[in-house]
Order: sequence, then C-alpha cells, then structure tokens
Amino acid sequence: MKRTAAYFLAQLKRAARLLPGQILADIAVCFCAGALVCLLIAQGAFAAEGTRYRIGMVGNLSDSYLGFGIAAVQEMDDSRFMIELVPMSEQEADEAFRRGELYAVMRVPEGLMESIVYGKNDKFVTYTAMQGQQGLGTMVMGEITDVASMLVTCSQSAIYAMQRVLSEQGRGDEIGWETDKLNLALIQMVLSRGEFGEVEVLGYGDGLSLELYYFCGAVLLFLLLSGLLNSALFVHRKIALYSFLKARGVGAFRQVLGEYLAYLLLVLAGLLTLCLPLGFGLARGLLAIPEWEGMGAAPFFAFLPALFPVAAMFAALQFFLFEAADGIVNGILLQLICGIGMGYLSGYFYPSAFFPETMRALGDFLPSGAAARFAQAGALGKIPAAAWAAVFVWLGVFMLLAALFRKRRMGR
Amino acid sequence: MPGRMLVRFMLLQKRLLKKGGFLLMLCLAPLLAAGIGRLSAESAGIAVIALYLPEGDASAQEVADRLLKDGGVFRYVPCGDEAEARDLVETGEADAAWIFDEDLTERLEELGEKRWVRPVVTVVERKDSVPLILGREILSSAIYPSFSYMVYAGYVRDELGLAKMTDEELRRVYDGAAVEGSLFQMVYPDETSGETEDFTYVQAPLRGILAVWFTFVGLAAALWFMQDEEKGVYGRVPVTGRLSVSYIAGAAFLLDAAAVLLLSCKLAGVFTDWKREVISCAVFAVCVLAFANLLRMICRTPRRLGMTFLPLLAAMLAFCPVFLNLPYFKAGKLLLPPWYYLQSIHNTRYLYEMAVYTAVLVLVSAVWQRVQSRRW
Repeated sequence: MKRTAAYFLAQLKRAARLLPGQILADIAVCFCAGALVCLLIAQGAFAAEGTRYRIGMVGNLSDSYLGFGIAAVQEMDDSRFMIELVPMSEQEADEAFRRGELYAVMRVPEGLMESIVYGKNDKFVTYTAMQGQQGLGTMVMGEITDVASMLVTCSQSAIYAMQRVLSEQGRGDEIGWETDKLNLALIQMVLSRGEFGEVEVLGYGDGLSLELYYFCGAVLLFLLLSGLLNSALFVHRKIALYSFLKARGVGAFRQVLGEYLAYLLLVLAGLLTLCLPLGFGLARGLLAIPEWEGMGAAPFFAFLPALFPVAAMFAALQFFLFEAADGIVNGILLQLICGIGMGYLSGYFYPSAFFPETMRALGDFLPSGAAARFAQAGALGKIPAAAWAAVFVWLGVFMLLAALFRKRRMGR
Repeated sequence: MPGRMLVRFMLLQKRLLKKGGFLLMLCLAPLLAAGIGRLSAESAGIAVIALYLPEGDASAQEVADRLLKDGGVFRYVPCGDEAEARDLVETGEADAAWIFDEDLTERLEELGEKRWVRPVVTVVERKDSVPLILGREILSSAIYPSFSYMVYAGYVRDELGLAKMTDEELRRVYDGAAVEGSLFQMVYPDETSGETEDFTYVQAPLRGILAVWFTFVGLAAALWFMQDEEKGVYGRVPVTGRLSVSYIAGAAFLLDAAAVLLLSCKLAGVFTDWKREVISCAVFAVCVLAFANLLRMICRTPRRLGMTFLPLLAAMLAFCPVFLNLPYFKAGKLLLPPWYYLQSIHNTRYLYEMAVYTAVLVLVSAVWQRVQSRRW
C-alpha cells in the first residue's frame, strides 16, 4: 500500500507538470466560447424576438402581386418572426452570401406570377441555402416552403373552381370582380391562419428547459473530450517500468489506480477552471437559465458537486481508452471518435428527443447517457439511485478493463 | 528524388498497416457512420406532437393523412382521447398536443361560410419554442386545404347565389380545377436539386463529424512525426528537408484515412457522386496535411501541440457547419480546413479557395522552416 501511495505521488508530480499548460488550454476554450457568446449577443442572435433567417430575394420582383406578397410577409404574416425577406440584386445577394450574411438566396423566375395566375405552376422559386450539404436548417426551411406552397395552391384551387362555376353558369362577365373579392378574402384568411389553434402553455413542469439542457450538455462534452488535453500524460510510457513496478509489489490494478487518481485530479482541475467563467457569466446574468433566473451563480455552485462523479467516470473512460490504444496517436483518435460519437448519440449536440427510439435507447445506455441523466437530475436537485448506480457501474467497468489491458501489456 | 520519396512513403505505409491499433481506430469511423445511418431509418422528429383527431370525421381524416405522411420533421403520436394527449404533454412524453374539435367538419363549414378564421384546434404546449412555432405553421397548412374548400363552397352558395348546387357538383368542379405541386425547389450552388439527396437530419451531421475526425488524423500524424523526430528516426535528414519528410509521413496516414472517409460517407448515406467526392476529399487531405504541419512547426513540442487539440476541436464544432451553421465569424471559419471541405461538396468556388488556402499554408510553412533552420 505504501508503494502504491508513493507511485500515486510520483504520478501526481507528472500531472502537476502538465497543469499550467492544461489551464492555459482550458482558458483558450473558455475564451473561444465566451467570444462566441459575446459576438452572438452583440449581433442580436439572442434578441427577444428570436433569431430570424435573413433571406435574399433576387430575380423579377417587379410584379405588384409579388411585391404585395413580400410586404405582407414582412409586415403582417406570423412568419415575420422567423424570416426576413430582403429584396436585392443578384450581385448584392452573391456578395452577402459570400460574407455569410444571408441564410439563403431565393430566385424568382421570369413569369412566375403569370404562371400562378393562370394556374400552370410550372415555374419554381429556387432557393440556395448557405449550408454546404443539407442540414437541420435547410430541412426546416423545406418545411416552411411546403407550407407556403400549400397555402398558395389551395387558394388557387378555390379561385379557379369558383371561376369555373361562373363559366358553367354562363356568368363569365362576373369573373374579374368575384375573383378579386374571393382573392382578398383568402389573403386575409391566410394572414390570420395562426388563429386556427388556441394555444395553452403549461410551463416547464418537471422537465429541463432547453437552456439548462444545453448548459449540462456543454459541460459534459467538455469533460468527455478533456482527454484530448491530457494526452501528454500518456507519452513515453514504458512496459519495462510497469514490469519493474510489478516486481516491486505494485501490481496492474494498483498501478492503474495510482495513475488514474492523478489523472482524475487533472480532469477535476480542468472542470474547476471551466467553472470560474461559467459562474461569473451566471452571476452577471450573461448566461440566462430559466430555472436559475435571479439566483446568480449560487444554484450552479450547488450543482457543481453533482459533476464530480461524472468527471470521475469520464476520467476512467479516458484512462481506459488511452490504455487500450496502441500508442498516443491512436489514443487521441480513439478519444475523439468515442467522445463525439457518444456525445452525439446521447444528445449533447441535438436533444436526444430528436432521435429515433433505438438510437435514444442506445444513447441512454452509453456512459455519456448515464452521465447526462445524472447531471440533469443533479441540476434539478434530486439524483435517483439508478443514476448513481449507472455512473459507478461504468466507472468500475472502465477501471477493471484498464487494469486488464495493463496486465495483458505486461504479459507481452 | 520522387523515387526515394515513394519508397519512404511505402515503408511508412507498411509500418502503419502493421499496427493493429491503427487499423482498429480506422474501422471505428465507418462503424459509427454505418450505425447512425442504419438507426436513422426509424421515425424521428425535432418535436413530438400528441395528436387527437375525432374518429369518423371526414375533415379530421384528411388532416391526419396530411400530417402523418412520411418525411416531416415532427413525430406524431396518435391518441385515443383528449385526456391522453394532454397527459403525454404533462408527463413530458410529448412537446405539444393538438386536440381537434369533435365536430371539425361542421365547424370548418361554418367558418368557411362566414369566411372567418377561428380556433378549431386546442394546442397544448409545455413551453413555446422555435420548433413548436414551426409546428403551428404546419398545423395551419394541414387544415387550410379543407378550410379553403369550405370557403369556396360557401362563397359559391352565398355570394354567387347558387345555394342549390349540391356537394357533389361543387366537389367535381373543385377537383377539376385543383392545383397541386410545390412552388419552391431547393438547389445547391452547383445547380444540383436538393431532392436528389435523400437523408434525414439525424444523418446530416455525419459528414461534418467525419471531416473533424479526418483533421485530427492529420494532427495525430504530425504528433507521430514529432515523436519519431525525438527518437532520432529522422536524424539523417537535414533540418531543411524535414518539411517534405513530414509531408510524406502525414500523407501515409491521410491516404488511409481518405479511403475511410469516402467509405464512411457512403455508409452514412450522405455520399453524392464519386467524381465530386474524390476531388473534394483529395484537396481536403492536402489542406489538412499542410495545416497540421504548420501547426506542428508553430507548436514545436508534442506537449504544446496536444494542448491545442481541445480548443481546435471546440472551434471546429462551433464554426464549421457540423451541427449548426452560424452566419458569423467568417474570418475564423477561413482558418479551418473542414469548413472549406463541407462547403465545397456543392460549391466548386470553395474547392478553389481551399486549394489557395493550402498553397498559402505550404508557403508559410516553407518560410517558417527556413527561419527555423537558420536559427539552428
């Protein structure tokens, strides 16, 4: 036991040498994240009216009906809270698109309005999204354009049907006047379509707000990927040293334990470094979390101890991955692919509710899922026994596996 | 000289492929891609909507058919009654409930005749959010076809004075005049239609994840080269020639990783066409090689290089269009190779920009190398 403690102290010294660099890198991460948040605030991305997609409109916009349509969307329609349509020339749109100021560019073809008025609908408004390949944003935009198409084509159908009725009745001279009347009535109804639903908002209930969900997700992702920062601890490892230690009575498990405890302190130091700017942001009201509103940083610091078991489990996972990998290079790549893969499946990037059932079950089962459940329960102030058990079972499994790999390595 | 470089490259490749750990690590990327690609086939949505529609009502059936058709971004859970729908929202199993009036057809007829828009659905939400605002738009568009028909029918009977027209006659004329199809079409900058690609938002981030992984393979190669340098493997190579040697070492890693990247994109379901993918991947590989080597030269020690990994990963995840596409920080994005690669898939301009950026990186590296070798 004495020798294990001595080995732990030696490892602690190694870890301490890494600490200044690690703190610097943590500060760099915090600085990047802080700069991102500050710039987003400065550019109005978190403004009370929410983020609006800025869309450039180019092409033939001279038609009065189209002009009215754009003005109606901008001034009266519910979609004005989501979309900002900006008429511009092709060149202006191209430049704005390149500067990243537009979310998409919509091109209105020649003769679009004639095509709609005569019911041909053979001209398409094409839209080009900024994203390289389709992502969630473009897919949401596809839904919005489907809604717009449905509103236009159904209104067209009603008007053409009314015109046919008049023609069949031999009252063709009334078509112009009646078309205008029905058209105006339909436009009015399209603009007030939001009134089809009567909204009842229940409040948060027992769930987490999206802000707190992502706050937990960001902290957990940092912990999960912090192995990348600590990789230097695993450089220059010698099997001869392990065999020598074993000969002196420090077996594989004790070696792993000594190294793991030193590694854990490094992970915890990283967590504490991250907590200072987070606590500052919460205390100054820069980070708004509905559940903690008006309470400053106190709820966060009360939540902090709940992150320690999770940090211990992630440290064990990282330690195991470095132990299992053949060399530091493979270790880093393993940390990266496992960290991002697990984080994605367990809902650190998109809420896990977005995923199919099997994927969610898999995400929940993974260590990252157990950590998410534990941290989310901790943020709400009550951690169930099952969450404790899951975290400690994974911790035990990783320690055991790390010791087995060390034993195998020494036996080579 | 090229012959010697090829021999060096082949020897490094042999050394790499003999390492079981490296091969295993390479296999993880396609495994993740294939796994997520396969799992994403199941139904999923950005919000869960509990749906209560009265049974036997014709308009309710039409609305249900429109909402439950495949391909939307919401997941619907049909409920037997109003209480069940509300319960799902209260327990957090659904984000919202849409509870339709029991006499939906009658109500729409009444509103259509009067040409009024009034509530026909009770929308119960846990909390208002952007997906649920979009959801309400989809809800309106699902009701609107039935409603616009009622408006037409009411208009013909009341305003045109044709009260004797039967429902069958009105429906016949309407169906004859009905206009269908979308007025919008998504196209990429290279004029490819968005409809040619068939994948869900669950698969969409995979190309970005793989691009970040690929960049880290380049960085790991640089770290590997540094370790070899410390061991004296390149002791006989003069300092001025180290840059080209480090490019050969990195190329050995990235050639394997490029094959894995292409395979993983195919397995993930985000693959476009061979010519485009291979060209983008090749330019991306050279860009990553130049980027990782410049970073290696700036950092000078494996420890310092290792310290840059986490901030670099954070920057890539935030600025490159992997999970979200922020229209800010263009200058920061221009420094990251994955950003060019992800944009270049449907826009050749970014391919040229990536090539120019690569040339700049190589040039800066050469100057840096010269300055460093003079110090020695």
